[in-house]
Amino acid sequence: MRMAVAPDSIKPASVGAPGADAALPPLDTDEKELVECLRAGDERCYEMLLRGFGAGVLSVAKRYLRSDADAADCFQDTFLAVFESIKGFEQRSSIKTWLRGITVNQCLMRIRAQARRREESIEHLLPAFDEHGNRMGSCTSAQTAATVDLIDTAAMQALVREKINELPDTYRVMLLLRDIDGYSTKEAAALQGISVVAAKTRLHRARSALKSLLEPIKEHLEYHADM
Amino acid sequence: MLTCKEFDDFMVDYLDDDLPAWQKFMCWLHVKMCRECVHFVREYQRTIALGKTAYDAPDEPVPDSVPEELIKAALAHRDNK
Repeated sequence: MRMAVAPDSIKPASVGAPGADAALPPLDTDEKELVECLRAGDERCYEMLLRGFGAGVLSVAKRYLRSDADAADCFQDTFLAVFESIKGFEQRSSIKTWLRGITVNQCLMRIRAQARRREESIEHLLPAFDEHGNRMGSCTSAQTAATVDLIDTAAMQALVREKINELPDTYRVMLLLRDIDGYSTKEAAALQGISVVAAKTRLHRARSALKSLLEPIKEHLEYHADM
Repeated sequence: MLTCKEFDDFMVDYLDDDLPAWQKFMCWLHVKMCRECVHFVREYQRTIALGKTAYDAPDEPVPDSVPEELIKAALAHRDNK
């Protein structure tokens, strides 16, 4: 069986919002050849897929799962699922987007399957209101005009990821799906098996809790900005 | 006028511009009148932006390549099926 494409010619498509797949152009020639080769069961093409797209799959798995061991298991399960479902791949999205969807699904299955730890409450991180429904304490840490661009600091980026990881899985996953990986609320709800209304509530609580978790970092940066 | 609590309940849809005109107007009016909520929304949006950018970061742990043993294990995993 011929080698359809050389490893170097595998060009993963740019990452787009999952919901925008319909707008993506058809697979390029190299990807089409790779898909045909995989459907034909060529072992070398399977290895090529692993090497060409494996880093992206592993990166997504590490984002959703809390341990490297789980991410490695998820990596294997993802490529096994790819192997088993390649015949049904309709090629309406790029291979990269398709793989990401499978990876996220595998991660969510793994998170659900794990013995569910009793999740810590995030109530103390959510907005508070008085008996008349007025917001309490939102302006306690005044925003200075000299807002620091947190995003310039690699250490701060790592800190933000760390804070996201402090969220209980229920909220962390919702935030990752919607705000980081770009799934629509409807898609994120379907992936988690919850209603759209529940997904919106979960998203709002996740964002609000993360906002509270980030407050000390923002204050720290503002302190340094004054120096 | 909406209370802060009621506005909070609409916040996801409000920021997604996914509310019927009347509710959208009520939220807009609340934001115009409420300093606390203006501050909250500003920080809330900043939080969303920070989250997005944190994973776009150059130092995000995206491996350049997959460890060889993981490739081999995946190949063996497939062969065993």
